[in-house]
Amino acid sequence: MLLEVSGLTTRYGSISALRDVSLSVGAGEVVGLIGPNGAGKTTLLNTVAGLLPPAAGTVVFDGTDVTGAAPEQMLKSGLALVPEHRRIFADFTVAENLRIGGITLAAAERAEMLEEVVEVFPFLRSRWDAMAGYLSGGEAQQLAIARALMCRPRLLLMDEPSLGLAPVLVDAVFELIAELRDRGRTLLVVEQNAARMLDVADRAYVLRSGAVVGHGAGSGLLAETDLFDTFVRGSAA
Amino acid sequence: MATRSLVAAWTGNRRREAGLLFPSLRRDVAFPLAGAVVLFAAFVGAGLLYTLMVEGASAEKLITAMFIDAIMVIGIQIYVGNTGVFSFGHIGFGAVAGYAFAIFAIAPEDKYTRIPNAPWGLADVEMGPLPATGVALVITLIVAVIVGIGLGRSGARSGSVAATVITLALLFFTHEVAASWNELTGGERAGLTFGIGDTLQTRTPIYLALFAAIVLALLFARSSIGRLNQAAREDNLAARAMGINPVVQQTIALLLSVAVVAVAASLRVYEIGSLLPEFFFFQYTLLTLVMLVVGGRNGVTGALLGVAVITAVRESARRMGSDGYEIFGLGLDGNLDWVFREGLPTVLLGLAMVVFMIWRPNGVLDDWEVDAWLWRRFIRQKPPAAAVAAPEPDALDLSASGVTVEFGGFRALDGASIEVSNREIVGLIGPNGAGKTTLVNVMTGMVDPTSGEVQLGEMGLTSEPSHSIARAGLVRTFQNLRLFSSLTVRENVEVAALMASVHRNGGSRTDIDAIVAGAGLWEQRNRRAGQLDYGNSRRLELARAAAAAPAFLLLDEPTSGMSGTESLAMVESVRSMAAAVGAGVLVIDHDLNFITGICDRVYCLDQGRMIAIGTPDEVQADAAVKAAYLGEAAQPGEDRT
Amino acid sequence: MTELVQNLIDGLGRGSIYALLALGVAVVFGVMHLLNFAHGELITVSGYAAYAAFSNGWSWYLVAPLIVVVSVVTNLLIERIAFSRVRGSSEFTQLLTSFGIHFLVAAIFLMYVGARVQTFAEPGWIADTYSVGPVRVEVFDTVVIIVAIVTLVLTAAVLQRTMFGLSIRAAAADFDAARLMGVNSDRVIRGAFALSGALAGIAGIFWLMRAGHTSPTSGINPMLSGVLAALIGGLGSLKGAVIGGLALGLAEVMLRTWLPGGAAALTQGVVFSLIALLFIFRPGGLVNVAHAERV
Repeated sequence: MLLEVSGLTTRYGSISALRDVSLSVGAGEVVGLIGPNGAGKTTLLNTVAGLLPPAAGTVVFDGTDVTGAAPEQMLKSGLALVPEHRRIFADFTVAENLRIGGITLAAAERAEMLEEVVEVFPFLRSRWDAMAGYLSGGEAQQLAIARALMCRPRLLLMDEPSLGLAPVLVDAVFELIAELRDRGRTLLVVEQNAARMLDVADRAYVLRSGAVVGHGAGSGLLAETDLFDTFVRGSAA
Repeated sequence: MATRSLVAAWTGNRRREAGLLFPSLRRDVAFPLAGAVVLFAAFVGAGLLYTLMVEGASAEKLITAMFIDAIMVIGIQIYVGNTGVFSFGHIGFGAVAGYAFAIFAIAPEDKYTRIPNAPWGLADVEMGPLPATGVALVITLIVAVIVGIGLGRSGARSGSVAATVITLALLFFTHEVAASWNELTGGERAGLTFGIGDTLQTRTPIYLALFAAIVLALLFARSSIGRLNQAAREDNLAARAMGINPVVQQTIALLLSVAVVAVAASLRVYEIGSLLPEFFFFQYTLLTLVMLVVGGRNGVTGALLGVAVITAVRESARRMGSDGYEIFGLGLDGNLDWVFREGLPTVLLGLAMVVFMIWRPNGVLDDWEVDAWLWRRFIRQKPPAAAVAAPEPDALDLSASGVTVEFGGFRALDGASIEVSNREIVGLIGPNGAGKTTLVNVMTGMVDPTSGEVQLGEMGLTSEPSHSIARAGLVRTFQNLRLFSSLTVRENVEVAALMASVHRNGGSRTDIDAIVAGAGLWEQRNRRAGQLDYGNSRRLELARAAAAAPAFLLLDEPTSGMSGTESLAMVESVRSMAAAVGAGVLVIDHDLNFITGICDRVYCLDQGRMIAIGTPDEVQADAAVKAAYLGEAAQPGEDRT
Repeated sequence: MTELVQNLIDGLGRGSIYALLALGVAVVFGVMHLLNFAHGELITVSGYAAYAAFSNGWSWYLVAPLIVVVSVVTNLLIERIAFSRVRGSSEFTQLLTSFGIHFLVAAIFLMYVGARVQTFAEPGWIADTYSVGPVRVEVFDTVVIIVAIVTLVLTAAVLQRTMFGLSIRAAAADFDAARLMGVNSDRVIRGAFALSGALAGIAGIFWLMRAGHTSPTSGINPMLSGVLAALIGGLGSLKGAVIGGLALGLAEVMLRTWLPGGAAALTQGVVFSLIALLFIFRPGGLVNVAHAERV
């Protein structure tokens, strides 16, 4: 397994946002993480990425224990996060956003990656020197993903990539996830849009109240449990 | 108001009625007075003990200066401690008061040598020290009103740069005026001097002022105004959502604080017998701030401790620098000339500031206070009788219609409408990002809608300030808990009840203990809100909102982060609170079990639009709702109506 | 008209120094939200270093780079010893820390060098002037303006073109997002302090040339000018800081000319009050913090 999370607990003050969560992602897999708002999905990604300190549990990435490592260290070991709300640098040009994404690379490698990323996202070239703040929501989301891909991550974490996008753009985001899957990328994606996510994911975990309450293959998860119930009503799968 | 019924249920079933300013005569007046006596006795006692041990005029002078510094620091504490707004400018107020006092109190014959051409014939004015202090007080308060208005306009709050800049500007401006207006102030070099023998000869006025300052500071901290300030210090937004207008409360704190500072400054000038611009500038600002910060700026006890400790440290450093390093008969071995020399006291002040900021930013004692300790230690409180449910209030409707909100190009709400009566509990559901919290933000005045209206009965609430909306009866909770975390559980509820008694219940009081007990928090009442576990924090937030005597409670995800059983327990809590207060409820939640269990009607919001309205069962069965939650491609076999 | 041009040049000369100081304040504020009241102490420390060097017979050509080096090293040391320990604390904890350092450094010099003002020779050309038509221009102002422009262009190039500059700007815009990109937080903060120290050092060269002396309290004025100018520019906005510095320099010179005799000494107080008014009526400063612009 590329990523192995076990017994992870994260607290905000006295509040446990994650309780004893275990999950794993194998190389080349696309894994979904679904669940209602407040279930702890974002907390989970942020803890894995090193933005939040875990209170208990371990995060093992590619055989190395990286529990509690700083985000910049996580990135160096090959794990990148596309954060919630994208967090692109609005006052930077598109090109600068991409370059900062590849800050850990050597100059030559960075130039190479720029070419590679532009191949996946051709529209970026036409907006190369535009301020990122002027991009549309869908473009900004693609830029955020492209920026994360710049550092050649072996595992890409994505937090709600379809949030706040118009339906057409939501389609584009899922097409993109499918494309990245087909290119052999490893993804762990938090998504609100459960059904769409299950369509493109190999497997998915269902998170509720900070704990994993369900797990299965995409179509199977839909078939064997009343997802709506698990998801919204709170009866554990 | 419809919620006047709350009064009937929760007022006066125990304890004697006290004034609005001091909710409990015993706790908020008697104990602080006793505390003031203890503090005064301990502080003055320590000072006098020192003058007995170390005789001589310089020891006397040191202790006199310490007492005056204590008045000054307490004056600063009243503002900084209660409001959390850090002021660098209080010494600037001190400069205004000091000069006003000196100009009026110095005898004309002494003024003729230094400032014979003082404007407005001030050189001829002859006045005793007491009336001069009065004049200084009035002038300084006028300046304080102007500065207070400025601070209010800039939206000063705990942590704001604007407050730092405005207060620093005051400090510099007064200093430059004092240094350059030679006709009035004697300028930077000569300054003003009292005639020989005209200076302060007795400590009596200092003792009186010090005792008064301690009493005032303790009483203020326990008064309603003090508590409202502390609430705003802890969480400005939540305070406004409870109906507190922080600007008004902060201005009152500022005036009181400046009054004490003005008296301290007058005494300081009178005692020293002369005045130069540098007496009230950076160096003294540093000294008083370090004194305040070391002991703990949030309490009077801490402030006094800081004054004593810093005075002791500075004096030891100074003596060892000038008299050789022998103190109290203890000689130190070796050559320590490199440590004990001129400049050491300032090095120690700077070091104390840096070390405390790194090690204990809230000081040694933080907000520990002697009267509160005595109260907790010696008064046993009995749990109150249970609250009675309120009689049915007059019917009242809350509505938002056609609300649209745009952030940049993003449309968070798109013509959403909702209607709630005060006899029902209404749910608002929808997927993440649907705009639910934005709608509550619009209804509570925290976000201005691009278009659309909010109405409570006949009253238009659109874009009113948050605190006015809360006073009109709309009280909300927050998705990510906003408690006043360093206030106790009971104080959290009390602050809301205070606002309610002023703005909602026409002066009559709410039984706070009944609310605390009703929320199941009686055992925790004296703990800091920040120390509660998650479930209790949620319950406290609900109790605090209920204590604000709302006509409508707007609850933003009260069960977020709770397990299934915990959230079912919340159904009962919300129901009983709403019934006790007689308020309608609009609740946002994701947990459909909770929503089904509690709501009469449910609205579903998706992408800024209402897509379904009905009973919980109807809404759950609605295909559009399922699609919104699970995505377009959801459950292909499902029939769509 | 002549007087106006004269004043403009004079104001730009001062303003250039302030701009360099303010830029240093703004860079540090950008990455860690610290309003650094200790910024002027860099000039105190490098002033004493310069004094020591002069005592050993160094010339200005050697002392000038020394000032920059000392300023950078001092800023890095202060960061290491104090600011790194309050990183992430409330803004007031950080602010009071810098307030403490401001006094601490001054008092250490008071203790070990003494309160006496230490003078050193100004360079010979400092009072030289040349004429452009009816306007007499100081060589000093000309040099200051040219050096400031070169420094600002270089700084802008570093911030715009290098990965180091990009990471500082990214950290200033969104610290956590920058860390997610792999920007090393320690390195970027240290880098900001080094850059801030270098800018203060270059400003310090001219400040000390003009003053011709140093004393324990000589840090207070550069600190005030830098902080004030950064505030005018809307704290954290790098472009705003430069504009703020120039505006402050011009305002000082203009106020000195226009204020009636006695009130001329009030310049600083008046400027300070104007800034307070700016905060009362426009809390973001001249350039809004929220839209912190590029250099």
